[in-house]
Amino acid sequence: MKRFLTGTALVFGKELRVELRTREILVTAGLFGLLVTVLTSLAFFLDDVTSQKIAPGVLWVSACFAAILAMGRTWARERESDAIRGLLLSPIPRSSIYAGKMLGTLVLVLAIDLVLLPAVAILFRLEVLATLLRAGPILFLGSIGYVALGTLFASMSVRTGARELMLSVVLFPLASPGLLAGVVATRELFGGAPFSEILDWLRVLAAFDLVAVVCGLVLFEPLMSE
Amino acid sequence: MGLDFTTVEARGLVKVFGPTRALVGVDVRFDAGLVTVVEGPNGSGKSTLLNILAQLVRPTRGEVRYGEHSRGGSELRAQIGVLAHAAMIYPDLTGLENLCLYAKLQGVADPEARVRSLLERFEIGRFRDRPARTYSRGQLQRIALARAVIHAPRLLLLDEPSTGLDARGVERLVRAVEEERARGAIVALITHDSALADRLGERRIRLDRGRVVGADS
Repeated sequence: MKRFLTGTALVFGKELRVELRTREILVTAGLFGLLVTVLTSLAFFLDDVTSQKIAPGVLWVSACFAAILAMGRTWARERESDAIRGLLLSPIPRSSIYAGKMLGTLVLVLAIDLVLLPAVAILFRLEVLATLLRAGPILFLGSIGYVALGTLFASMSVRTGARELMLSVVLFPLASPGLLAGVVATRELFGGAPFSEILDWLRVLAAFDLVAVVCGLVLFEPLMSE
Repeated sequence: MGLDFTTVEARGLVKVFGPTRALVGVDVRFDAGLVTVVEGPNGSGKSTLLNILAQLVRPTRGEVRYGEHSRGGSELRAQIGVLAHAAMIYPDLTGLENLCLYAKLQGVADPEARVRSLLERFEIGRFRDRPARTYSRGQLQRIALARAVIHAPRLLLLDEPSTGLDARGVERLVRAVEEERARGAIVALITHDSALADRLGERRIRLDRGRVVGADS
């Protein structure tokens, strides 16, 4: 367990250090998410009532697209100079490589979500603080499972030629239970439902997170060993 | 951390990738304190053999014994160092940051002291604080060499280590390999560079189409 935690901390620290130096993922994926938000707000804004119905979908679509870009890019870094081979050769548990990469990506995705939430609120004329406090926790909860599953499939890009294509094709269908629960829960909240009414959706989201993280930890090693 | 062994022996190795048979019943042995050169044309299975020895690829059939051990997981990986054409480092981190990271990943007891000694041994100090992306081929290979031996591995696997190096770089590489051999490491060298093979190789294994077609006793 100690080796797992040490390995996870080292890989996580490396992820953050590289991103702090380049700011590449935060800028590219963040701007992409904002672009999707702005374009959809321009295309779909009709009136205040309609915007409240559209905003949850826009929030989740922009967050998912930005996250998939971030996940692909973090593994592209491992392909460069074959750095992933250096990690796989080290004696840390291979599941800790997955855990470190997943946590590193999750921090970046959550940072992007923090930008997208107020952007959606402003563009769709919603209350910024209320949107952050109400939709924020659901988006963060959904991001955990989505990133956990995405990190696993993005890791396969270092072994296959299909790369980002495979990530998009495989990830969205498999992540659909979590995405559906997240979108519906956000829609209900934006429609004025109290938290108590969306608890079942949050349970689905939490179960999805748990399954995704456990699958990632268990399947990473076999996927990385040819 | 790590197992101890003085021989590495592969028996009946077969590796199949889809319709391609990369290795077909390979039996080879590597001993401590010797540099064994693995030769052969492109596609003969040299790199597949190296990846199996490094525990990066599982053989379809056959086994590799590291002394008394056949599969040691992380303890075995702690005794294997690999130097290949790709540096296996992070281009956005500095050389120093890369070496510190790998020293910690390898569980080196005093990572800072070990990195300091390697910076001196491979003359990395001058460029250690620059991002690795800015390094020349020779500088990259010095960092990669330091990374490969940072944990003083029992088994050192070298896959075309001299590609793109100038004469000074090759000299530095030869010196480093000789030091590792003198330390008692098992060294397997894959190279197309016949001059390098002649200088370092004490035993030769020749592969062709996945089979051993020649070996010194």
